[in-house]
Amino acid sequence: MKTSKTLYLDITGIVLAALIALVCGFAVILVTSSDPLAAIKSLLVDPLSNWFNVGTILNKAVPLIFTGLALSVAFQSGVFSMGAEGQLYVGGFLGSLIAISLPGLSPWIHLPLIFVCAMIGGALFGAIPGYLKAYLNANEIVTTLMLNFVATLGTSYFVNNVFKDPSSGGYARMEFFEKDLLLGKIIPGFSAHAGILIAILAVVVVHLLMYKTKLGYELRLVGKNSQFAAYGGIKTKRVIIYSIMIGGALAGLAGIVEILGVHGTYKDNFSNGLGFDGIIIALLARNNPIGVLVAALFYAYIQVGAQTMQMGSDMPRELAVIIQVMLVLLVSAQAIFTYLKQRYAKDQKAVK
Amino acid sequence: MLNAIWNQIVDLTIVVVLFRFMTPILLAALGGLISDIAGVINISLEGLMLLSAFTSIAVCSGTGSWALGIAAGAAVAVAVSYAIGFFSIRLKVDIIIAGFAVNIFGSGFTIFMMNKMYGQAGNYSPPDLHNIPNVNIPFLEHVPVIGKLLSGHSLMVWAAFILVAFCVALIYKTPYGVHLRAVGEAPDAAKSVGIPVRRVQYSALAWSGLFAGLAGAYLSTGMTSMFVKDMTAGTGFLALAVVLLGNRNPIGILIGSFIFGLASAVTTIVQTIPGSQYPTQFIQMIPYVVTILALVFFALRKKRRHALAV
Repeated sequence: MKTSKTLYLDITGIVLAALIALVCGFAVILVTSSDPLAAIKSLLVDPLSNWFNVGTILNKAVPLIFTGLALSVAFQSGVFSMGAEGQLYVGGFLGSLIAISLPGLSPWIHLPLIFVCAMIGGALFGAIPGYLKAYLNANEIVTTLMLNFVATLGTSYFVNNVFKDPSSGGYARMEFFEKDLLLGKIIPGFSAHAGILIAILAVVVVHLLMYKTKLGYELRLVGKNSQFAAYGGIKTKRVIIYSIMIGGALAGLAGIVEILGVHGTYKDNFSNGLGFDGIIIALLARNNPIGVLVAALFYAYIQVGAQTMQMGSDMPRELAVIIQVMLVLLVSAQAIFTYLKQRYAKDQKAVK
Repeated sequence: MLNAIWNQIVDLTIVVVLFRFMTPILLAALGGLISDIAGVINISLEGLMLLSAFTSIAVCSGTGSWALGIAAGAAVAVAVSYAIGFFSIRLKVDIIIAGFAVNIFGSGFTIFMMNKMYGQAGNYSPPDLHNIPNVNIPFLEHVPVIGKLLSGHSLMVWAAFILVAFCVALIYKTPYGVHLRAVGEAPDAAKSVGIPVRRVQYSALAWSGLFAGLAGAYLSTGMTSMFVKDMTAGTGFLALAVVLLGNRNPIGILIGSFIFGLASAVTTIVQTIPGSQYPTQFIQMIPYVVTILALVFFALRKKRRHALAV
């Protein structure tokens, strides 16, 4: 049972974990930096010091929101997918193909078509491990990890050989999209692109899907106890495939929004781990869509902070990794959370 | 292209390249195997290899001793494996998540240390590194075919082959091996007969750290003499795949590493042919596709057996 009190405890625990992770990062800075205070300041304050950096945080958060949502849907139905990275490439690739192959189409038709194709691409690529898990009981952790390589290598081949823009020289990318297809800035002069609006919309849709529809109920029930769900008449196999396909569609969106908002065309290896960052986001958010939004913003803030720190001090931006790793480990340490809840329960008893 | 590959097969260069590529896969996969058998799936081989690769080259260039380098790399990998154990067994972090965290950590922390210690961002190659030596077998090395087949390989190549036999003995011939398998298959049952389940799980993780450490040390101070950021480039994941492809048994893993090493070797040969236009992506893809197909095959076989049994 998830009462508001346990929810409150969960949130407190996660915030505490985030603080401890930050302190771990500070400790490393103190030990290795010649001017620790400047490094900490440039890590924490600089990302928020001007509008350009704030916009960068939003832009960085956009793909993380999508991949975080993608994985939280899969995780909630008990599918431990690590495949968002591959689905993101396939979806982004397919969407980009549509973008360059139908020149002159009105953006009002073209853009939705691009989005739909990116979602279909991600969903179909996600269906493979989903099918393998549901019907053959093949371990989805391994199949998705393997399929990630298949996706990155496969798209890399096509963008290096078949669909390469002849004028791109040594750089493997498609030709740039028409200007009116790209996601513009929300406010002129502010660096954030319109992807954040789509991302927030996605958060709302996924929230409604997971908590207000029959499918969402079935997804969550299968994740909690698939035997019970099957006993209750839910077709668990189909639900597993659906969940990973929905995740794939969201990962595909992550790819195409990143392309339309930041890169302007499909570039080889453009993601560089966004799909894996999504795993962290989903864990931090405890698979809750609104939590995903918050976690992605925080994560993006740390990433931008790491960059401003690299520019403003003698610390390399890889320091952020230490914070990320501690965050992941502490937030997923069930023993700590169980302990906290037991302590809380005990205190309650003592009061009575 | 085929011509070039054929030439390399005839003059046995391909064997040399193959051994170089299969050694780290084989070592890491043996480590993955032991932890897998004990039911503590270690997906952090990639990160452990990176940590060890960096540590061993740093110690090796600092002390001038490759042996100390290997020892230090392996020690770090074992220590981090214990940390995985602490977080997963004690603090109940899902072992997949703990391993995933170590993978991020290994990639980022080695870049961080390279930056802090040597001021390098992408790669570190110390000028005169004393690599893990090659074993030249006297007399044999001048015999035409056998010489090239057997002589001149790195010490670690031989170590890897010997460790396959070691793993067979460890898993199937010792009481400890029985404990490993018991803990992996039915931890509660193992506990009820007095097997120290947690200790066995910790030790299995330590073994996987040791083997991944050896693999990492070989990458930086044997196969090459430099550390490049993210130089494992998926070897740890290949090793995970090999564990499953080899049907969780050391000999199967030897064969699996051979296949994956061959795919890597052919990729390299094709890439190094001057003016080569052949897309290597599909050759690189082979191991991953083969693994998925193997998983499907094993699953189908299991299903059929199940159906027959019922």
